[in-house]
Amino acid sequence: MWGSRSSRTVVIGVAVAVFVAASVLPLGYMLARFAAAESGSAAVLLDARQRTLLFNTALLGAGTALLATLIGAPLGLALARVAVPWKAALRLALAAPLALPPYVVALAWVHLTGPAGPVASALGPNVLSAWTYSLPAAILVLGLVLYPLSMLASEVAFRRIEPRLEEAGLVVAPPGRVLRRISLPLAVPSVAAAALVVFVLAVSEFGVPGLLRVRVFTTEIFTAFAALYDFGRATLLALPLLALSTLAAAVAIRLVSGQRVVSRRGTDGSQPLPLGGWERRTYVAAAFVLAIALVTPIAVLTWDAMGVSTNVFQGSRLAARNSLVLAAVGASFVTLVAVWLGYGRARVRYRLGAAIDVLCVVLFAAPSTVVGVGLIGLWNRDGVLGGVYGTDGMLLLASLARFLPVAVLLLAGAVRYVPVSHEEAAAAAGAGWWRAMTRIVLPQVGPGLLSTWIVVFVLAFGELGASILVAPPGETTLPIRTYTLVANAPPAELAALALLQSGVVLSPLALLGLGLAWRTR
Amino acid sequence: MMTARRRRWKAPRALTGAAIPLGLCLACSPQPSSNAEGGREVTVYVSTDRVFSEPVLREYEARSGVRVNAVYDTEETKSTGLANRMIAEMNRPQADVFWSNEPVRTLVLKSRAVLAAYRSPAADGIPEALVDPEGYWTGFSARIRVIVYNTQLVATDEAPQSVFDLTDPRWRGRVALADPRFGSTSFHVAALYEEVGDATMDEFFQALAANDVQVVDGNSVVRDLVARGEAYVGLTDTDDVNVAIEDGQPVAMILPDRDGLGVPVMPNMVSLIANAPHPQEGRALIDYLLSPDVERVLAQSEAVQLPLHPGVPGPANLPPIDSFRPMTLDYTGAAARVEEVTLRAAALLGL
Repeated sequence: MWGSRSSRTVVIGVAVAVFVAASVLPLGYMLARFAAAESGSAAVLLDARQRTLLFNTALLGAGTALLATLIGAPLGLALARVAVPWKAALRLALAAPLALPPYVVALAWVHLTGPAGPVASALGPNVLSAWTYSLPAAILVLGLVLYPLSMLASEVAFRRIEPRLEEAGLVVAPPGRVLRRISLPLAVPSVAAAALVVFVLAVSEFGVPGLLRVRVFTTEIFTAFAALYDFGRATLLALPLLALSTLAAAVAIRLVSGQRVVSRRGTDGSQPLPLGGWERRTYVAAAFVLAIALVTPIAVLTWDAMGVSTNVFQGSRLAARNSLVLAAVGASFVTLVAVWLGYGRARVRYRLGAAIDVLCVVLFAAPSTVVGVGLIGLWNRDGVLGGVYGTDGMLLLASLARFLPVAVLLLAGAVRYVPVSHEEAAAAAGAGWWRAMTRIVLPQVGPGLLSTWIVVFVLAFGELGASILVAPPGETTLPIRTYTLVANAPPAELAALALLQSGVVLSPLALLGLGLAWRTR
Repeated sequence: MMTARRRRWKAPRALTGAAIPLGLCLACSPQPSSNAEGGREVTVYVSTDRVFSEPVLREYEARSGVRVNAVYDTEETKSTGLANRMIAEMNRPQADVFWSNEPVRTLVLKSRAVLAAYRSPAADGIPEALVDPEGYWTGFSARIRVIVYNTQLVATDEAPQSVFDLTDPRWRGRVALADPRFGSTSFHVAALYEEVGDATMDEFFQALAANDVQVVDGNSVVRDLVARGEAYVGLTDTDDVNVAIEDGQPVAMILPDRDGLGVPVMPNMVSLIANAPHPQEGRALIDYLLSPDVERVLAQSEAVQLPLHPGVPGPANLPPIDSFRPMTLDYTGAAARVEEVTLRAAALLGL
């Protein structure tokens, strides 16, 4: 269809070069420079205690992915198929927990359910307090923060299903069966991709398990850096974590292999299988989820923050502006590069595509500190590279390194729903690849582009591990400012700064949602 | 009227249009516009809590006209932070000065040849034990490791007086301790092993584990746990407790082992970075940080840090440093063992 001399080769080639330079090289540098020098370290990887920690980590990841999917996928289906009023506002509210820093949500959980908290006072110390510091608690906290990823991916998937398949099914089967046998299986690739992303985010998480006293493998990597200052050991210890993520990716790929993705040809809004009569149930479910995932943590934080002086916000304006601009630009760059890579991934053959998926998962799972030290090693040099080091460009590079892989996965899922026949028809009509992409493919993945941009924006905004290593001296982002202040600030100030951070990251998303709602009215 | 196709394409094009020029501007952005005198600047990496150190650095900036580019650190369990950054940057340092709040990081950096020797004239008067004989670091404004207790749950005369009292069965399940692998707790553990001996300290940590000690991810978490009553007593630092006292929380502190083993004293440490980009400005900042004026400010702040210069008034709610017996410490010896003993303690605690 498109020859090797088409613009496709150039564009995707440039995107691949950016991907290699930005995402692959930092981890590759660390493996080549530090991990290779570690000899006789095989025993470290086989330590019985560390195997237990790895098992805990796997449980945390799997449990979080399962919970996030159980909450998010039905909500995504409802947003795609139920004609509820104020849908844009509902979507934004349901996505808002993603903006809350997980550590702060865990703190709210501890304050609420701990032995000295209001739940213990009302119901006695043995109802929830025994579970305050536990693996299930960590799964619950992370699941409630990360379910919006599953929700957004599911909504996009359910909107893209070819309606004629459901129409045909409705001829012979009731709506419920059509939903179970046709619609849900067609949404599995996107739902599985989102679950994989949640899994990787959960196994990479350190702050929440630390606070809730869950012993996880990431603590070993953190110890190697923070207690031993041993880059080689830390990089080597990242390998089991990457192996775990690879295994999860393989499971997810196996689950979706052979799944046919048949997408709608048109882009109108008609839905042959609307879930009429489910409006009330949707609102009840949404209210329940919001009460637990959003209202409760914010209420606890607000209660904790009461009486705090407004001085705590002094100096935060510049940090907030930096974070907003850097996250927006970073998300834009990431999405701009990822869309071409996602297209390439969606169009390659199965085995190569599976390998690309695994690579993306591995890169995404790489500990942020390993990536940060790798960025320093690559860029802190004399010459042109050193000219970028010490500027905000390093924060953009950190966003690219950390989040380009996950954006590729998400956008590949979105492009997969665009039939190849559309491009074939364009080629047959004499259109070049670029024209087919810009006039046919990209417009159809608009919702996927937007949801990917939002996910990367939120992740980039809250990124700390790599950012604190490469942020230019004298400048700061809001998460860096928050975590450098709270070491010895009263709990009220931590709560206030967490609310500020959540509000700052939600504000542009709210404006975006309102703008889109206005344009489509 | 725009067609639906053109309208949908606008979003990706808009993203592209915004991202490229904005990104290029950001990538090439120098530091924010400076009022520095003659363009002079100094970069300092600071692991002392930002809420205490930032006002000191802003004051220096105002007085000297030298722009201060500060990079602050998070609590030790929130990120792997500045020490790793300095090690990674050592072939092309960005920092001129390192201001540390405990000895371990400084001594690790010294052992990695990240630091340069500089003996500041402002160090005159500081006790010799708190100044590196080779000149790679100078101590000032000290904190103390203390026992914090909840005043609503523990009477003052019942509060433990020694760290070894924390293994008493009456505190079973009610003791909080920060993870011994990180931060000032790692220093304290190493100091105890160095001072008391491995056998005694191994027994201590075994007894703590048997007493169901709550190991948490930071000194401030220890303080918060005790303030909420989830723990009755804990080990933490003076500044952590004082912040809670000033906030009206029901906590108080005990200087442990003041008549026995001695109270662990942790000075701030300041060092010049090897091959610093602005060594002259770095030395000037070090001279300022070691001045009695800075010690006075830190003593009067919520940090309640004990001045080391004679004649500088200390915090009102802490005894002066010469009124109790400090633990005799070989900082270098403790730092050399910190990796081994903290992992050992962590294993005994089941971490």
